[in-house]
Amino acid sequence: MASLDQLKLTFFDECSEALQQIELGLPEIADGAGAEDTINAVFRSVHSVKGGAGIFGFEDLVKFAHVFETVLDAMRSGKLATTHEIVDTLLQANDVLSDLIAMSRSGEAVAPDFGAECRAALEQILRKNSDGEELGDDTDAAPADFDGLDFIPVRVEGFESPDSQGGEQEYRIVFRPKPDMLKKANEPLYILRELRKLGSLDLIVETDRLPGLAEINAGESYLGWTGTLRTAATRQQIDDVFEFVAGDCDLEISTVFAEPTAETGLPVSSDPAPAAAESAAAAAASVSAAEPLGAALPRERPASPPADKVAGSAGETAAPQGAPSKAPAAGATTTRVELEKIDRVVNMVGELVIAQAMLGQVVHTLPEDVSGRLMQVLDEVVHHTRELKDSVMSMRAQQVNAVFQRMPRLVRELAGKTAKKVRLEIAGETTEVDRSIIERLGDPLTHIIRNSIDHGIEPPRDRTAAGKPEEGTIRLSAEHRGSRIVIEIRDDGAGINSERVLQKARERGLVNTEAVLNEDEINNLIFLPGFSTAEKISDISGRGVGMDVVRRNIQDVGGRISLKSDRGRGMTIQLALPLTLAVMDGMVIRVGQETYVMPMSAIVECLRPPTSDIHNLIGTPGMLRLRGNLVPLVQLAELLDIGPMQAVSDERVVIISDAGEGTRFGIVVDELLGHQQVVVKSIEESYGSVPGIAGATILGNGRVAFILDIEKLSDIASSQNVPVGVARFGNGATKSAAAPTAIGAM
Amino acid sequence: MPAAATLKVLVVDDQTSVRQMTRMTLEQIGIRHIHEAENGKLAMDTASVQPLDLVISDFNMPEMDGLAFLRALRGHPAARKVPFILLTGRGDRELVVKAAQAGANNYLIKPFTPDILRQKIEQVMGKLS
Repeated sequence: MASLDQLKLTFFDECSEALQQIELGLPEIADGAGAEDTINAVFRSVHSVKGGAGIFGFEDLVKFAHVFETVLDAMRSGKLATTHEIVDTLLQANDVLSDLIAMSRSGEAVAPDFGAECRAALEQILRKNSDGEELGDDTDAAPADFDGLDFIPVRVEGFESPDSQGGEQEYRIVFRPKPDMLKKANEPLYILRELRKLGSLDLIVETDRLPGLAEINAGESYLGWTGTLRTAATRQQIDDVFEFVAGDCDLEISTVFAEPTAETGLPVSSDPAPAAAESAAAAAASVSAAEPLGAALPRERPASPPADKVAGSAGETAAPQGAPSKAPAAGATTTRVELEKIDRVVNMVGELVIAQAMLGQVVHTLPEDVSGRLMQVLDEVVHHTRELKDSVMSMRAQQVNAVFQRMPRLVRELAGKTAKKVRLEIAGETTEVDRSIIERLGDPLTHIIRNSIDHGIEPPRDRTAAGKPEEGTIRLSAEHRGSRIVIEIRDDGAGINSERVLQKARERGLVNTEAVLNEDEINNLIFLPGFSTAEKISDISGRGVGMDVVRRNIQDVGGRISLKSDRGRGMTIQLALPLTLAVMDGMVIRVGQETYVMPMSAIVECLRPPTSDIHNLIGTPGMLRLRGNLVPLVQLAELLDIGPMQAVSDERVVIISDAGEGTRFGIVVDELLGHQQVVVKSIEESYGSVPGIAGATILGNGRVAFILDIEKLSDIASSQNVPVGVARFGNGATKSAAAPTAIGAM
Repeated sequence: MPAAATLKVLVVDDQTSVRQMTRMTLEQIGIRHIHEAENGKLAMDTASVQPLDLVISDFNMPEMDGLAFLRALRGHPAARKVPFILLTGRGDRELVVKAAQAGANNYLIKPFTPDILRQKIEQVMGKLS
């Protein structure tokens, strides 16, 4: 049973949804893009908040919501025009509402004049547009009850007399003789005639069991009938008609929408009848007091008008429930579950994956004849666990729209502040990704869009001068690509001013004055820390939050960011993120005595190169010649401070990985131990953020292994003067994880 | 004198918290068979397959609002007589009048105590045992 506290939680959940609905709807209304529905939806949202707040006694919230609602009501009934100014006030009102909700939720006391300015603005709107007509009602003194209202409760008859049978009852009849019924000298026709004597009978025959003419056995019954009987006869009388054939047929008699009586003589249902054509009168599934199915049958729409509203597939709902009274609301396909519960299940599945891996290890040590069969069974278990994991992870999956939908408002605000015209297009917003990623997406996305509007999109005059439409476009899209989700932010602004960027970089000593960089490399300079070309720090992009922070945020979740700029035409930024942070495919590697896990997504290739392909440059761990390109090598042992640097020998394995922005490097390890799914456990709580370590996991052998953060390691390596940017591949496109070619088959 | 324990009630409101609140209160006055629906359309679906003794419904809902639901109910030959109590917030005077004209039997202002709920139901159905 839901306690009051649980109800409050539910209410605040609803408030969050309501606030989102309002925030989405108001801009649409302002642009004139909103349909009548939109304004109704916004009105309802505020109304809901008010209603719930009233129930829980959040008076300040109620009062404010009431004024808010009144304005919306005036708008939806056409008494108030929807101007931009009014919508702006409403957006502010939404902010106040949101704050009031937060305060109610946390139990904070509300300052007496909180939101007074906004409220006054709302009241002003109501007064200004009254046209002599009173738009707002007495907002404060809402009567506790409607005194003086001419509403006399209408008493319903039928409740005083206990046995008000009077009048006709409608029954739904399903009559399907079994094949042998005819042999017992029972003729369905006579039965139907008897039935007809009781009242008005409307039947449809079912012929789906009827075989071809050649196969028909005249002594068998193939037909069935369903329909309704409207009769004043008693149930007993109806039963009597079927008395002699009760055992030889499938029979269902059920009442349709019984008159409200105290008597609850509802029939017990037999098997629900399969879909069958129905007669014009409304029909219902059989219901029993003991075991309500709530299961209605798919049926065609009947012809008569009142029935039209009623009969359209009354929802094939769930299995019968234990408690006799609760039938699920017909048609409900979602349910609310506390996040904690889902996370617990995810954890459990994680543990299952680990235990399974350990099981696999043990099985390997068994003698062949035993282990063979066991491995087969284990394989099945692995398969099922994988499916279980996928299902559970999909429960945590959310549409990226959760983050995307905040952007239109951001764009509006920024465009306003910078006096630019910007339009936001969104695509792929239904793409799903784990909650853990969604949460980390907001800040980077916000910053990228801010940058785009601040620096990318030109002022309207400049745009027209350049032959572009006055209004700039930012296109935000998301799609699944392989094991990642790729989010693209593309604008049609001016692109990166590479000269200025290079100049600034030189000025700040970020780049050697002699170094020759191509356009891509220059553009990627903006990812360097401390870089900002803004002459004055605009209050929009803020201080010091450069692209390097954005890149860090993305890398922190194991993602990659890349950009492409087309001078004068625009810029595209791409974020590639893993689908989830909780479980990932990993390659277990050995370095010295230590075992680590590398994310498979970071591995492009593994190989064991011959020594002849290794070129040693003084002061570096070497370069690998790979298909005509030189790939810088990094000794993992040295990077992680495990052991002394050794010359790369034939036995070592080199793992090729992306260093970001089209460059690659090779990581030298001692051995590849195998590929397995690992459950990522965060170590941040205990150890804080450790550069180069993305988390930890428990391997199949029960030991703990750290998961490496390859992007960070490459940064560390490059800061230790391993030349980066020497090896180029093709057009600089990054390649997502490919199957390792030489070694480490999956 | 209808027995509270045998009454079948349908609660219609798009807010889960309101439905749950109403359910709790109904149970406190002894009613056991409670159905819920999120909007008028789903309510009508339920009403067409479940025999009901009472409907308690909000007005502002998506898909099909309470007024349309009430009219559908009153237009349905078998449901014509089912008592309909309107759930309303404070200050919705106009709504209550409209509801009365459309055939509602009584109204309930949120929030309501079990006593008020019982009182309103009894005004419509007679004393509950």
